[in-house]
Amino acid sequence: MRASRAVVVVGVLLALATMPWWARDQYQLHLAALIGVYWILIAGLNLVVGYSGQLSIGHVGLLAIGAYGFAILTGRYEWGPWWALAASGGLGSLCGLLLGLPSLRLPGFYFAMATLAFALIVTEISLAQGDLTGGGTGLPVPGFTAPFDSPGGFHALVLIVAVLITWLTWNVARFMWGRALIAVRDSVVTAQAVGVPVFRAKLLVFVLSGLTAGVAGALFASLQSYITPDTFVFELGLFFFVCIIIGGRGTIVGPLIGTAVLTALPEIVAPLARWSTFFYGLLLLAVVLLVPEGIGHMVEIVRARLRPRSLASFAVAPDAERLARCLRSEPRR
Amino acid sequence: MLTALVTGIAAGALYAAAALVYNVMFSTSKVLSVTTGHLAMLGGVFGAWLTAGLGWPLPVALLGAVAIGAAFGIATEWIAIRRVLSRSDEHLWLLSTLALATMLQQGVALWWGTEPKPFPRLIPQDFSAGLADQKYWLPVAIALLLALGLEVFYRRTLYGKLFVAMSEDAFAARARGIPTDLIRSLSFALAGAMGALAGFAAGQLTFAYFALGLTLTLNGFVALAVGGLGSNLGALVGGLLLGVIGAFATYYLGGEYQQTIAVGVLMLVLLLKPAGLFGSASIRPV
Repeated sequence: MRASRAVVVVGVLLALATMPWWARDQYQLHLAALIGVYWILIAGLNLVVGYSGQLSIGHVGLLAIGAYGFAILTGRYEWGPWWALAASGGLGSLCGLLLGLPSLRLPGFYFAMATLAFALIVTEISLAQGDLTGGGTGLPVPGFTAPFDSPGGFHALVLIVAVLITWLTWNVARFMWGRALIAVRDSVVTAQAVGVPVFRAKLLVFVLSGLTAGVAGALFASLQSYITPDTFVFELGLFFFVCIIIGGRGTIVGPLIGTAVLTALPEIVAPLARWSTFFYGLLLLAVVLLVPEGIGHMVEIVRARLRPRSLASFAVAPDAERLARCLRSEPRR
Repeated sequence: MLTALVTGIAAGALYAAAALVYNVMFSTSKVLSVTTGHLAMLGGVFGAWLTAGLGWPLPVALLGAVAIGAAFGIATEWIAIRRVLSRSDEHLWLLSTLALATMLQQGVALWWGTEPKPFPRLIPQDFSAGLADQKYWLPVAIALLLALGLEVFYRRTLYGKLFVAMSEDAFAARARGIPTDLIRSLSFALAGAMGALAGFAAGQLTFAYFALGLTLTLNGFVALAVGGLGSNLGALVGGLLLGVIGAFATYYLGGEYQQTIAVGVLMLVLLLKPAGLFGSASIRPV
């Protein structure tokens, strides 16, 4: 099982790494890089939503901050793209900290509303601070230096970062922190009782998700090469959220597949593009009502159904003699 | 200055109405529905469509818009609440109502268009009325009417008392023979009708605009959280407070920081008084 899984992972990675040589056109490369960028954000968000159960629907705000940070640092202050990338990650985690400090203390719906408000605030500020962000007209974003300036090179860069981030979140998820987060998700009181520092655990992964969102924002800006406030609409944040819920909470593979499928679907099936947000809503509703554990869970159910069952059979017969003895004997006093 | 105050009170009344709608749904189901603001959006959009598009007379169009709001309220309860409440996971209703709200907003956007469209005059009045214009006092009147009506409904009618009983303890109410599922559906229908009515009355202020729903969901929730969850008086005060503060912020700082101010107010109140101004402190279940 373990070996076959490793083979699959290595195979997929090889296929992705060699994609510049077998992809049919530039557009497919672009799409793959876009999925990778989204995944960098969603991998971090998955720890927040999927593992610790904090329903953040406004991560698009952090993405926007990373993107604008990168665009302003490279464009206006002429930093090198690598420094700007690192600074975007730092900026994202700082904003995650500032957002998480007050809002992670709030209960479920309050927290979701706080993150929604955060996303709207970021849009508002990016429109208001016109001389810094270009206002409604937006900003052009320079690309990376060679060898990452071509579509193939950029794809490789995204792939490397995505693999690193995935490895990072996988490490968080499977060791002590991940267990603590799952405990927080399933029962806060129990988690507290067994000594999990609830607020600190939540804040830590939230800051980590801010870091990945900032890095994803920088790569996203570089990939799109031009950003406006309209790029970072609330629906995009909802999309990230839906990817995780559909893929299944508490796994890494599920949201990864969810991201890939949901990003590619409206691009491949053109008539869907107009209806894509409606479609995400419908999908979210269907998953919540039918399989709240996510589609990944459905595969497990089907597999369990199909597996031939071997139930041990026991013959149950009354022990007549002992029964009779019990009935005959006097009740003890 | 006076203009800022009047517009603030008018917008605040709409927030207060949204907070009242939250309260009605919350009382019977303990669910804070994301669709709350979208109910008012339905009232505005369908009000404009029925009057301007189909040419229905005003009272009939008003009834039609309210009926559509109520129908959507019932649909919300059937689709997104009933099945989910029977499960133990407390966050699922947030996801299901969010999904429904998204679908509604996108559906309206695709059908109605993404531009705000004008809403017809409800009462014959000259446009030169200035601050006495109906678009400012109609939302206030409706919000007050809704709050008073709810108070009478809760205190004087049998069904109102059933609502109160369910908000106190749904299990005990069920044990006493109250059809809790039916009452919950009714509360969602009432909430839908109220939301659509508020959206209809405020149509001239907000225009018939598909994206009104999400901002109103947020601002209504801020009003509710500031005033205190479950308190109708708190909803009114919180809504007016938020509207006036937002309007003065616009007056002094410019219109770009509306949401920032709203959330700043929310965070300040939640830090100082977590239960809100008029809310009762909740007991933490252990």
